[in-house]
Amino acid sequence: MKILIIEDEQELLNSMLTYLRGENYVCESAASYEAARQKIESFSYDCILLDITLPGGNGLVLLEELKTDNKTSGIIIISAKDSITDKIKGLDLGADDYLSKPFHLSELNARISAVIRRRHFSGSTVLTFHEIVVDLIAKTILVHKKPVDLTRKEYDLLLYLALNKNRVVSKNAIAEHLSGDSVALFDNFDFIYTHMKNLKRKLHQAGSRDYIKSIYGMGYKFEV
Amino acid sequence: MKLLNKTTRSYLVYSFVILLITIPLFYFTIKSALLHAVDRSLKTQMRDIRANLSDIHSQNDLEAWSRLDKDIRLLKGATRSSDTISTVYLYNGRHREKEPYREISGTISVEGNLYTLIISSSLVENEDLLGSILLVETLLLILLMGGVLLINRATSKRIWKPFYVALNNVKNFELNKNSNAEFKKSDIEEFEVLNKAIYNLFSRSYETYLQQKEFTENASHELQTPLAIFQNKLELLMQTTPLTEEQAGLIQDMESTNLRLGRLNKSLLLLAKIENHQFGDEELVNVTTLAVGIVQQFSEQASEARISIKETYKNALTVKANRSLVEILIINLLTNAIRYNRTPGEITIAIDNTTLAVCNTGINTPLDEKIFERFYKADSNINHTEGTGLGLAIVENICRLFDFRLAYGFKDNLHCFTVDFAADHHAT
Repeated sequence: MKILIIEDEQELLNSMLTYLRGENYVCESAASYEAARQKIESFSYDCILLDITLPGGNGLVLLEELKTDNKTSGIIIISAKDSITDKIKGLDLGADDYLSKPFHLSELNARISAVIRRRHFSGSTVLTFHEIVVDLIAKTILVHKKPVDLTRKEYDLLLYLALNKNRVVSKNAIAEHLSGDSVALFDNFDFIYTHMKNLKRKLHQAGSRDYIKSIYGMGYKFEV
Repeated sequence: MKLLNKTTRSYLVYSFVILLITIPLFYFTIKSALLHAVDRSLKTQMRDIRANLSDIHSQNDLEAWSRLDKDIRLLKGATRSSDTISTVYLYNGRHREKEPYREISGTISVEGNLYTLIISSSLVENEDLLGSILLVETLLLILLMGGVLLINRATSKRIWKPFYVALNNVKNFELNKNSNAEFKKSDIEEFEVLNKAIYNLFSRSYETYLQQKEFTENASHELQTPLAIFQNKLELLMQTTPLTEEQAGLIQDMESTNLRLGRLNKSLLLLAKIENHQFGDEELVNVTTLAVGIVQQFSEQASEARISIKETYKNALTVKANRSLVEILIINLLTNAIRYNRTPGEITIAIDNTTLAVCNTGINTPLDEKIFERFYKADSNINHTEGTGLGLAIVENICRLFDFRLAYGFKDNLHCFTVDFAADHHAT
């Protein structure tokens, strides 16, 4: 899977490159409008991460070009402008998703997998981790081929950790992922303990090994 | 009082005073002039008579003369004295009433005898004349002043027209819209200057507004990016091995602080945006539906903190406002109600025809009025370290923007925040 990151802020770019390369993506980067345009014209990517404010031009113009060229890349806009108008405009122009800064790398990673999955219909719709199988279409999981009854939040939690497998995912990142945009304003993230406890219990009862490790109260890691 | 009435009123008062003074003045002046004329004619008559006395040779002549001339009377036996003039009222047989006469009385000597001669002249005609003159003059005065007033009013109206157009433009000026207001051209220098000044003010305000808006967006961009870098570096730091418990604790603290910084930045930007009127799109928002959804979203956090939420929705409350802002308003009130609650605690949310009320248990004393100020946090023993201190300031600003009335009250150990959406008839 090939990803192009269009971002002019070097340090942000470095962090994204480090995290995504660790997920075995082939990553390329462009730090300006012109550089991005050249790369888009010459190569094809499974997913493009697009910053809107770029030296030399507006990211939305690149987006329009991508769409008129009929490229099949999935596009995620990463913008510092947390404005609804920009978001709607970006999505109208054909972007698949919109992430506003600051964001969690684990969230970015989860969104990239979702976009790539949607773009490649032929691709696998299940994720398998030993005895655990996640059905992405039906949004259900099987342990030892038997379905486990999870709530929507528990399913989201498991999928989020699984997509970021072998990574420490912070509690804050999980809380924001589970509660969506508006609740991100809220500061009490204790509620995720309950979901975590129930999820672990249900997996254990279904005969799964305990893959979810707590990392010193800082976050969790799905180890496979 | 309107400008036109103000200027016209001074004219009116002046005209009235002048009328009051001039009419009696006029009356007395003309009257005395007429009297003067009569007196002079009486004196002339007296002089003529005296000069022609030599024509009278006998007592009979005298009597015949005095009988022929009704205006003179002769009284026998008098002592020599100087002429006197006076006004007397005599009975007029023809008109059957007393009428004013001017009389001159003097002594004449005929054939050695002294007589008192009285010559009288009726003043009735004079009075009639005086009346006519006064009537005409009064009419003229009234016509003149009335005309002046009307003309003045009409001219003023025309002259002040550009001023009223300019005034209307100022009244309708909205900062977040570029003004294309039309000004009325005027040949009066001051008004042209005023129009230019207002026009410049409009365009400068709009430019400043655009700059500020741009600054807001730039500030957002400039701050969000380093926040994002810091956030992502912390996430990478989490992945490093070996990771000790001490390091993990520090990383977690840093991440929480950074998230708080991010929230603070977002809140400040939101405040700036509200104050800059950057939320232009208004639509009919169903507050009840929004509240139901938001309570649903927060139900987990609330039950985690052992807080029960009681909802009473009398009917669907619809207001004309910006949807995102109404959403933020409800979220902020609700998060505060959860954050500053006690464990276990309760929250009641009630919506009726025009108001939304969010009440919660908490500390047992009323809160300070300062709660609406930025960065003010109530001093209490309840643990609430993570608030930005901007939540209520944002709520207050949203209410001010849409003319909602926000009130705080403490009753039955409940802290209640009430938003009256109908303060400016937004509710439908």
